[in-house]
Amino acid sequence: MSEFHDDYPSYEHMAHHSEEDGKKARRTLWNVFWIMLAITVFELVIGSMAPSRGWSGTMWLKVLFIGLTIAKAAAIVLWFMHLGHEVKFFKYVILAPYILFITYTIFIILVEGVYSGDPQNRTRVDPILIQQQLDLKAGHGHHDAAPEGSHSGEQHEETHH
Amino acid sequence: MWFFLVSDALTFGGLLVSYGFIRHKYVDVWPKAENVFTHFPFVEQHLPLAYVGLMTFILIMSSVTMVLAVEAGHRNDKKKVIVWMFWTIVGGATFVGSQAWEWFHFIVGTETGALRHVWSQELGTYVEQTVYGANMVVNEYGVPQFANYFFFITGFHGFHVFSGVVINFIIFLNVIKGTYERRGHYEMVEKVGLYWHFVDLVWVFVFTFFYLL
Repeated sequence: MSEFHDDYPSYEHMAHHSEEDGKKARRTLWNVFWIMLAITVFELVIGSMAPSRGWSGTMWLKVLFIGLTIAKAAAIVLWFMHLGHEVKFFKYVILAPYILFITYTIFIILVEGVYSGDPQNRTRVDPILIQQQLDLKAGHGHHDAAPEGSHSGEQHEETHH
Repeated sequence: MWFFLVSDALTFGGLLVSYGFIRHKYVDVWPKAENVFTHFPFVEQHLPLAYVGLMTFILIMSSVTMVLAVEAGHRNDKKKVIVWMFWTIVGGATFVGSQAWEWFHFIVGTETGALRHVWSQELGTYVEQTVYGANMVVNEYGVPQFANYFFFITGFHGFHVFSGVVINFIIFLNVIKGTYERRGHYEMVEKVGLYWHFVDLVWVFVFTFFYLL
């Protein structure tokens, strides 16, 4: 009986490795783990220091966190999900459409979000928001939700304590 | 598996992006995670973000044990596959439990509560009252939209973790029974491994956008 053959090796042939290769693979994986752990601890330390030092909501903090997140995501995809070891074509079939689509979505949605959050634009469409905002601005004695100082015009500025 | 993961990643991407939309719209009244998630089991004082840090550690750890199970499968080392898959399942179950605990504290809220305007059906207007914790309608910590998104996205992710634990357990039983040893390869372990890493991957993003930023 003739079988279908392409020149892509079957799983049984690809997926086995020897004891020495295994040792090397394990060392790499543990290194990836330690790096990811270090990044997470670093993020938490920075995150817990941020409010008292007035770093919350600053642009550099956001860029730092998002950058570290993407680094961690890349580590998971490339080593844990071993996409780094796949054939080049397959890699791009998986990554290219996703990256293109999601970059565009992020861009357009955040632009629209900023627009619709502008006080001039939201009064027409979202009366409940006005009430919520008055509640939160007034604080009403809740220590967490009471922002001090007025909201400056800058969109990325968050309220500080 | 890869094509399923891409479509699932688009789902999560869509959810997180819509979260970004609302987040930017309500930028001046959005609650800060370090004021919301301050509890740690068996500890009286407030430790912001400590518990979610531990949860993240547990999930990354279980991702490592999973990849070690896959690696053992490449060497047809049945015993090691069993050991590592066992720890993966333990880690996943711990994570789901932790998430339930986190939800519990978010829903119950603080002792003081906060004054909010809540819609009253009888009066047909907004009435000021003290609310405790968060649900789909009111949120002590800030705008209700934060709670809506928190419940939906962490809930959706938590359900993924839960299904991952169940699937891992089924494969775990098959490994013990020797199904893959007879088959000659552990490809199924590798497939559930891919799914499991994807769940970890999503958490990395959820963690950043809900707890750090």
